[in-house]
Parts: sequence; C-alpha cells; structure tokens
Amino acid sequence: MNPPPTPFNFQVFLDHVLSLLFAQTWAWWAAGLGLGLTALGLAWMTGRKLGVTGGFEDAIATQDPSFSSSPDRWKLWFILGIPLGAVLANAGHLGWTFLYGRLDGLVFGSFLLKAFWLLGAGVLIGFGARWAGGCPSSNTILGVSLGSKMSILATLGFLAAGMIVVNFLYKVF
Amino acid sequence: MATRKKNLSASSPAGWTYLAFGALFGYFLSKSRATDYDAIIAMFQWKEFQLYGVIGTAVAVIALGLFLFEKIGISTRSGEPLELEKASWEPTRLFGAFVLGVGWALAGTCPGTSLAQLGEGKVMAFFTVLGILGGVWVFKKYGPKFAGKEDVC
Repeated sequence: MNPPPTPFNFQVFLDHVLSLLFAQTWAWWAAGLGLGLTALGLAWMTGRKLGVTGGFEDAIATQDPSFSSSPDRWKLWFILGIPLGAVLANAGHLGWTFLYGRLDGLVFGSFLLKAFWLLGAGVLIGFGARWAGGCPSSNTILGVSLGSKMSILATLGFLAAGMIVVNFLYKVF
Repeated sequence: MATRKKNLSASSPAGWTYLAFGALFGYFLSKSRATDYDAIIAMFQWKEFQLYGVIGTAVAVIALGLFLFEKIGISTRSGEPLELEKASWEPTRLFGAFVLGVGWALAGTCPGTSLAQLGEGKVMAFFTVLGILGGVWVFKKYGPKFAGKEDVC
C-alpha cells in the first residue's frame, strides 16, 4: 500500500521549509524549545529575566513620570519586538482580520460588543498581572522554571480561574 | 555584589538587543498557537495538550539550561554572575492571579500574546492591549502596595 518513492524535489523541500518558517504553527515541543532558548539567551546575553508586563509599565512611564521605568527601558524595547517577531512568523500570509475565533459566536458577531469585551478583559489582565507580580510569561514560564514558590502559586491561580471562567462560559452559552 | 568587577569595555546591551529577543519571543509565541483564542479556550477546557506541552517544554528547557550554566560556571556575556531573582513570597498575590486568570480566559490572551496578535494582524488585539495599559495604570494608582520587591516582572 506504500506510495511509490518520489525523487527528492528541492522546490518541494524549500516550499515546506518556508511554510514552516513563515506560515504554519508548530508542534508543542518545537515552539516550547524556541521559547525556552529565547529566555536562556536573554539571560546569558543581558542577565535579564524574561517578562512582558513591565514593558507596559515602561510604555506608560514615557507619558506619566510617576511611573518608574526599567533600566535603559529595556522592557519597552523587548515588548516592541514582540509584534515584529509575530509579523515574521506569519510573513507568508499577512493580512488584517477582525475575526477572533469562537469569541465571535459569544458576542453575536458584534464588533462593538467584542471591542468592549476585550477592553474589559484587558483591564483585568493588566491589573491582575501587576497584582500577581507577573504575567504568564514571567511567572508561568520563567518563575516556575526558577522553582519560585510564588510563581508556582500564581500559575495555579491563573489556571484555576481560567478553567472556571471558560467552562462556565461555554457550558452555559 | 558590592565590589563587582566592571568590565569597562562591556557597556550595557543596546536597545536593539532587547528588541531582537522580543522579536524571537513573539515569533515563537505565534508559532506555539498561544495567540489563538480557540487554543487558549481548548487549553482551559483540557481538550488540547498543545499549550501545556509548550509551557512544559519551555519550563524544562530553561530549568535545565540554568542548571547547566551553574554546573559549568557560565556567567553572563559581560562576565557578571547569572542570578535570576525569584519573586518574593506574598500569598495575597494569588488574588491578582485569579484576576489575571479571568482576563486570560475572557480575552484568550495574556500580555505577551496580545502584542503578538497585533503582529499577526488581529485587529481586535488593539483593544486588549489598550485595556492592559489601563489595568496596569489603575493598579499602580489604586492597587495594593507590596513591601517586597516591586519589580518582579
């Protein structure tokens, strides 16, 4: 039942590699390896701890002097890089979309409702991230790998609250 | 710490270094599907292993890497000891974790992935990012203050 062996075709191979690099998403182990190596590289090159929410604070600090910023505003630089990397990851099929997965069904496809939904959720995310001492990047990825008791507790908190909310939302509606 | 030997030729890394690491982080976040609302929902519903695998692999790689750094005696590139500080123990931060968890579930995104979504062309992420900026601002002005190290993220 095996298909006949096809001769190696460089064009097919190249298309496959380009698609992997600039279009497709990856298996969990490959993406996880990349994220881990990024955090390790950052630590080795600069001695800094991976984190994202501090960059939001840096961004506010550029406008409001009552906010303290990170040394050299490095966190602002870091978060400005994030969208650039995401552009690269999808360079093969770039385009704008207003769609947002299953949420579109929850908000009856209403743009306005979806905008306010995400705005409100964003406020909870920002407020909670500062209160929790870090977001899923700094607590769940970096903090847990350091074996930090606080980060492990915070991670369990994120997951518990998330599971309750999602299961409520998608069981009831 | 007080008498840390300073290498005069090694200045602190330039902004573009951090920009490049941010780009790497955003690239892999996008590849991991953590920027996909449906993937986050499936994670919280225990219907997909994907994001647990991503987080687990990243944690294992960092823990192993730092262990090896210490074992071999690798310092940072500028020669300073590689010491990543743990967050201080403040149990009430668990409430903040609950608040973030609710937001994560509602928006299907966390601060890092909301920025990556912008790069992917998901226009709606603009509102999430705006909300996060607001939430960070409100916390600083009106949220509880901690005696421990403030700068943990």
